[in-house]
Amino acid sequence: MTAAIALSDLVFRYGRGNFILSCPHLPFAQGELSLITGPNGSGKTTLSKLMCGILRPAQGEVRLFGRSAATLSLGEIGGQIGYLFQDPSRQLFAGTVWKEMTFASDLLGEEQTSSAEKALELLERFGLAALKERSVYYLSGGEKQRLAICTILMGGAKFLILDEPTVGLDRKNREILYGILDDLLAEGRGLAVITHENELIERFSRARRIKLENGQVTP
Amino acid sequence: MKKADPRVKLLWVLLCTTGALVFFRPLWMAGLALFSFLGTFYFGAHLQLLMGRLRRFLPLLVVILLIHVLFVQTGTPLLVIRDYPIVTSHGLRRGAITLMRFFVILCSAAVMAAENSRRVLAALNKLKIPYLFSFMLMIALRFIPSFSASFSDSIIALQLRGVELRKIPWRKRLRMYGHLLLPVVADAVVKSRVLAMVMEARGFGAFSKRTSFLDVSMTPCDWVLIGALFGLGIAAFGAYYLFG
Repeated sequence: MTAAIALSDLVFRYGRGNFILSCPHLPFAQGELSLITGPNGSGKTTLSKLMCGILRPAQGEVRLFGRSAATLSLGEIGGQIGYLFQDPSRQLFAGTVWKEMTFASDLLGEEQTSSAEKALELLERFGLAALKERSVYYLSGGEKQRLAICTILMGGAKFLILDEPTVGLDRKNREILYGILDDLLAEGRGLAVITHENELIERFSRARRIKLENGQVTP
Repeated sequence: MKKADPRVKLLWVLLCTTGALVFFRPLWMAGLALFSFLGTFYFGAHLQLLMGRLRRFLPLLVVILLIHVLFVQTGTPLLVIRDYPIVTSHGLRRGAITLMRFFVILCSAAVMAAENSRRVLAALNKLKIPYLFSFMLMIALRFIPSFSASFSDSIIALQLRGVELRKIPWRKRLRMYGHLLLPVVADAVVKSRVLAMVMEARGFGAFSKRTSFLDVSMTPCDWVLIGALFGLGIAAFGAYYLFG
């Protein structure tokens, strides 16, 4: 079976710094949860950005659902891979929750009825339907995060990369997030979660662990 | 020559940017562009950074050049299609002047970017500019990379929702950029509020007089440069108005 994301012999270095990230063959499958852990500055976010084509490697290859990421635009990648930023505010642009959900489909000129149905279904599933008309700036951290995940799913992503999703969340919102991760896995979507939160690691103790240390990936 | 006093660099930047605004003749602007380019060498600006910035601005510069070339209809027609002048001598001249103007501004920015911000603050303080104003100016300049990073993240996030930017009609794209600016501005407002609180918590503005450990002093060479730049400035602007 083709891996959702397959990294092979990657080398990445930042232009001005001495930081180098290297990664041997590392496949990520659909329906699987991978926890990417490591100390601060070890390269977790860099690895995740390489996985979805935001950064391009100096050497090696990233394959997304069998196709080389180098040949795909970010828009094409976004149809398959979703990325949740550490600060979800950075990926919310519209005035209200509803406009946020339909922002991309409006831009693309997609059929309004089907995108509205899909948006409503997602909002209901993620407990945001009651906040439909609320400004995104008045949402709590947990609500913003759920909305950001909803917008990613609106784009049709089959594999989600989440960069430290538990940061700043209280216990209740963390529990909601864990439930969402369970649901996404049950749907057969692949997940890669960057974390150093022990609670999340213990909660998903059966998940695959990928450790990073000084830019070295240990599968 | 990185050690030149920031006041010398500020005067040089003032001359270059004023010239960029004032000069409308291609030869004068070319001279100013050369003067700015030599200045970046002399003041030890990061030329690699300058070239990187130029590369990033290239599409914008090409668009500006095209707008000038295509929309200025006066002057000698150089390219005519079906009696309609596409390229004229004035259009080309205007385009070239605008490009050189951008280049001068980029050179000035590269020189100031290479200077230590604390030294610039100390120099502005010596020029009797209130510390509060100069500090605000430096902070505003530091916000530019943060603005740029936020905007770039927003564009990436939007593309990762499956949006192919090149497939969006330009009208919708313009509206989209307006929306993308919203979180960037909101982020900047939040950051500036946090920064103000942090600065106040550190006692910023608690005393009317502020002392500084860092001191910048003019060397004889700096005074010579100041004199030379003043002389050159007066001569250049005077000559431009009298004979240009």
